[in-house]
Amino acid sequence: MYKASRFSPLTSIIRHTVVTLPTPINISTWWNFGSLLGICLASQIFSGLVLSLHFTAHTDLSFYVVIQSFGDVYYNWWFRALHANGASFFFIGLYLHIARGLYYGSYLFKEVWSIGVVILLLVMASAFLGYVLPWGQMSFWGATVITSLFSALPVIGGDVVVWLWGGFSVDNATLTRFFGLHFVLPFIVAGLVGLHLFFLHDQGSSNPLGVSSDFNKVVFHHYYVLKDLVGACFFIGPLLGLVYFNPWLLGDPENFIEGNPLVTPHHIQPEWYFLFAYAILRAVPNKLGGVVALAAAVLVLFYMPVSPKTSLKGLSFYPWGKMLFFSLIGVFFLLTWAGSKPVEEPYVVISQVLSFLYFSYFALIGPITRIQDKLL
Amino acid sequence: MRPSFLLRKEFGNLAVIRGTVKYHLSPLEQRAFAGAISQGVPNIFWRFRQSFFYVVPPMLLSYLVYYTAEMEHDRLQRKQPGQFDHEK
Repeated sequence: MYKASRFSPLTSIIRHTVVTLPTPINISTWWNFGSLLGICLASQIFSGLVLSLHFTAHTDLSFYVVIQSFGDVYYNWWFRALHANGASFFFIGLYLHIARGLYYGSYLFKEVWSIGVVILLLVMASAFLGYVLPWGQMSFWGATVITSLFSALPVIGGDVVVWLWGGFSVDNATLTRFFGLHFVLPFIVAGLVGLHLFFLHDQGSSNPLGVSSDFNKVVFHHYYVLKDLVGACFFIGPLLGLVYFNPWLLGDPENFIEGNPLVTPHHIQPEWYFLFAYAILRAVPNKLGGVVALAAAVLVLFYMPVSPKTSLKGLSFYPWGKMLFFSLIGVFFLLTWAGSKPVEEPYVVISQVLSFLYFSYFALIGPITRIQDKLL
Repeated sequence: MRPSFLLRKEFGNLAVIRGTVKYHLSPLEQRAFAGAISQGVPNIFWRFRQSFFYVVPPMLLSYLVYYTAEMEHDRLQRKQPGQFDHEK
């Protein structure tokens, strides 16, 4: 047993986290996304700090400061492209990390999973707040649409929205507070990530087979340090490819027009990583119902730790469960596509059917896997 | 919340194991990438076949839904024969 007495507490923590940590020998590429997300968070905090040095949160100035800083500040164009595309890659990593969790039963680590869902919510909030800062058309109108959703709350809705806005519409007070919150939230996320890892290392990582791996573990360094480095190269490569060759591929051209409260864009839509939730929001014809469905689309993840348990962990040995899981992936892609479409037929009825199917996965996965337990 | 010191898993305290047998080969007696091509490449095709019928059908169905919806939307955007006959 390693003795920590000759090491300081800090090096002891680092040693127990990334050097001598007992890690299953058989964890696959799907286990790389944790470290990738850590790299994304560090990159977003660093690039965000650099951008904040030259940013002014004022409705008259923000749009022009952002554009002008491209030419006047050395490499600011690079940091902005890295920050904007880094957010997209953050969500790619998040969704794949969650998909791994759903497939391999990682939600059975209840504390780790619950903290992870809170991290997801805070990162989504941070991304929404950050998108408002350039004060383009989509920034302004996206902020207007999403903050207005809170008016659906019974009795207090109207007052809540005015309180959020800091006035009677999305204006300077809103932009200022959004900048402050966007700056602070990532540090709260970083703290929660530490807690996420603390609870994970309590039991140790799971593995693709879903069985105990206590009899067959290896040290984290150098096996998984190297594997994580390889994963980082495969992750950062496409990110830098976008930054250098096509930085606005995932963006909306509408955001190159300064935000104008008097001109509503023809098609208001969020960034791609929110489109699945946007489709679910618009699928319900009632405003409060849509808001509840939007929240439920993410909060349903809290249900997984208390869903019916199966004999084996994960879906590796449940064929029907696997088919249902990949159907969920297809539904997620289709919801993302549907969220980008205008509110016209046949997209309306398709969004409604897809929203039903999305929630059906969480209702059916438990019973379907338990049926297989009984049959086989 | 579980007190973590009760479940601290580290080398030397992972589990109760009896009758451990250790095998060891000198690095000079083994090839680092033995079977990487001869067994690794066929394994790729085996792994692909094992997951094909779980992954591909839902993705195919999703593509069909997308394609059909786009065709239907384009059709609804066009004028239909007889659509304005009542205005004659």
